[in-house]
Amino acid sequence: MRRLAVFFIAIVAIAGSAKAQTSIWDGVYTETQAARGSTGFTSHCAACHGADLGGTGEAPALSGPKFLSDFDGVSLGDVFDRIRTTMPQDNPGSLTRDDVADILAYLLKANALPPGAKELDRRSEYLKAIGFSAANPRPEK
Amino acid sequence: MRRKLALGVALLAGFPAAMAQTANVDWTSYTGDITGSRYKPLDQINTSNFSKLEVAWRFKTDNIGNRPEYKLEGTPLEVGGVVYATAGSRRAVVALDAVTGELLWVHGEREGARGAAAPRQLSGRGPSYWSDGKEARILYVTPGYQLIALDAKTGQRIASFGNNGAVDLKADSDQNIRPDLATGEIGWQSAPTVVGDRVLVGSAFREGFTPTTADNNKGSARAYDVRTGRKIWEFHTIPRKGEPGYETWLNGSAEHTGNTGVWTEMTADPDAGLVYLPVESPTSDFYGGTRPGNNLYGNSLVAVDINTGKVKWFYQFIHHEIWDYDMSSAPLLMDIMVDGKPVKAVAEPSKMGMLYVFDRITGKPVWPIIEKKVPKGDVPGEWYAPTQPIPSKPAPYARTGVSENELIDFTPELHQKALALVKDYKIGPIYTPPVVSKAGGPFATLSLGAASGGTNWPGGSFNPQNHTVYTYACNSCLLAMGLVPPPPGMSDLPFVIGQAGQPVVMINAAGADQGADAPLVKRAAPAAAGGGRRLTVDGLPLIKPPFGTISAINLDTGTIEWQVAHGETPDYIRNHPALKGMALPRTGQTGFSIGTLLTKDLVVVGDAEVTTTPDHPRGAMLRAYDQKTGKEVGSVLMPAGQSGSPMTYMVNGKQYIIVAISGGNYSGEYICYTLPNG
Repeated sequence: MRRLAVFFIAIVAIAGSAKAQTSIWDGVYTETQAARGSTGFTSHCAACHGADLGGTGEAPALSGPKFLSDFDGVSLGDVFDRIRTTMPQDNPGSLTRDDVADILAYLLKANALPPGAKELDRRSEYLKAIGFSAANPRPEK
Repeated sequence: MRRKLALGVALLAGFPAAMAQTANVDWTSYTGDITGSRYKPLDQINTSNFSKLEVAWRFKTDNIGNRPEYKLEGTPLEVGGVVYATAGSRRAVVALDAVTGELLWVHGEREGARGAAAPRQLSGRGPSYWSDGKEARILYVTPGYQLIALDAKTGQRIASFGNNGAVDLKADSDQNIRPDLATGEIGWQSAPTVVGDRVLVGSAFREGFTPTTADNNKGSARAYDVRTGRKIWEFHTIPRKGEPGYETWLNGSAEHTGNTGVWTEMTADPDAGLVYLPVESPTSDFYGGTRPGNNLYGNSLVAVDINTGKVKWFYQFIHHEIWDYDMSSAPLLMDIMVDGKPVKAVAEPSKMGMLYVFDRITGKPVWPIIEKKVPKGDVPGEWYAPTQPIPSKPAPYARTGVSENELIDFTPELHQKALALVKDYKIGPIYTPPVVSKAGGPFATLSLGAASGGTNWPGGSFNPQNHTVYTYACNSCLLAMGLVPPPPGMSDLPFVIGQAGQPVVMINAAGADQGADAPLVKRAAPAAAGGGRRLTVDGLPLIKPPFGTISAINLDTGTIEWQVAHGETPDYIRNHPALKGMALPRTGQTGFSIGTLLTKDLVVVGDAEVTTTPDHPRGAMLRAYDQKTGKEVGSVLMPAGQSGSPMTYMVNGKQYIIVAISGGNYSGEYICYTLPNG
């Protein structure tokens, strides 16, 4: 009987956490991290994506509604791994996980997503718990 | 049993039992056949059941090369129960069981510095197939520009072909490739065309936005003996002294001008003994002051003798091209009926959004194509052709120029903002020339079409039964054509593409430095461009919908029978605050890698972009339209957008559809669909 009750509570807890999944709108990076990422972006990304993140040639813009929509529904870990495994295109794998996390923090800031108290993690597996949603899932907050 | 493959990987499995079965319909070349049709009269998958399609198998291409690829553009072949495709950043050929997707063999080439320098890297468009009934071969061109012949059963090189299975297309060229064979700029990403015992190959270069020199290597098209690898002929797309057309290059500019490749698919009419070559523009794409004159055979369709490569007829679509329109699409060889008379026709879709139709034996236009006066520009040193040919029929199937009427008009406010934005640009009808970019304006000429509009490399398709062309067109592929002097050391041309006040960015071909042979070496970061002007209004496209369309064009009458917006309304538009509460019709999507597949009654074609709607989770739809009406009759959700054109085949009485998908955070994958059993 007691076992059953524990099981039941566990289910409620899981359901509760699923409902309150963290998203990029919940302050998942820090200002300091984004500032570091700004430097990294200038060094490694801006030549193709533009100093204003507006894109050049086939390199797409990394700010604005279209950028947010293109990745809407994936996890922040997915976006992290896309950068980590393929960018910069002429030198993939050259950035450390910390570099990528900083640059990603800068991209979030450049897209007017709010900063918070905790830095973005350097592990994709942890970032997979953060939803990348184009619109704020809890706009009332 | 041990066999050695070039990659040192031998994956040998028995050939599938499917080979012995009947009721097979094969897809034997990139466009399904050598006429360019992309059509198979199969109807197991049809208007009533398309939405029931299920995934039969998937083939992820991540490990075909040393990094995943996000730009998988191939269309596989299927012959006798085996699927053959190019794949991965290595551009290897894979053979897969057509029913299960099991990997039968893989063949790739490690090309070292030569592969690293290749202007066209990544997986390419596909291989080709040849058989004389006794033996069967797979042929493909590597990023480093070698023509490779493989045994279709084993994936091993055919020792008697060329040099142990390879022809070095750089060394075997009529020109000396400069500066050397390893780094000299020339390559190809398309699928060879097999006609009888001939295999045709073309040529491609880097993007022509910011070329380093006007004196580039020259394009050509060639025919090889499929048995021996011996060159049979090479057609010089830039005539040599003494050859017809040389006189169209003033000041002897044929000597030093390059490019003018045949980068897209070629088609052939063996009965007529003709091969059809769509030729791109000469160096450079947006500035032609170094090559005064009409520049034959730039931007032409050239019909050459299949045995000799000699010109039988040609038609130049653009004189002295300065817009990067190229000729992008496989010529469509159709037998049509015009005013009660049969015509063996060739129809050429284009980035210009116009369909040009000729008698393919004589080259005579089926409907008059009229030379019309076009605006002259004022770029210092440029030479301008006074007229350009415009078909009287069919009507353009995509937007061809930019006017105020084409600007976003969801609301009056958005339209006003768009009008304010374009004030700083030059706009006009098709063939409005580029301008020198000035800080006070004009920043550039705005063009639709040009680099990526209308119909691009996927080309069109046609149904030989109803004499109708079906093609995708980008209606919103906007390009700012501003010219600036290059920074020191970038180029010997006086102008390259750029924007006044901004650093000039070297624009490489898509895939440059991304292939499996490209070294992973740290380099100094180049100067960053940016702070430039975006061609958007509050984040929305400057141009109004439809952003992309599918058109059905009947070639007996030369009329557009229907046209529909293709592609779900993008999320960022549907959810835009300025459009809240508005009932938007489907806008279609902007894209240039969308090709169509025709079955007996369907047009099958996927969305380029992923969306998330109340009707479906994140994904891109593979859609089926009724060929008669354009009505959408079914769709299937794919995990990423279509990036290579779909194909179909039947094995053991079961029909399959394969499509290449990739993009965003989704790496390249071939997905095979079929109907549920029972």
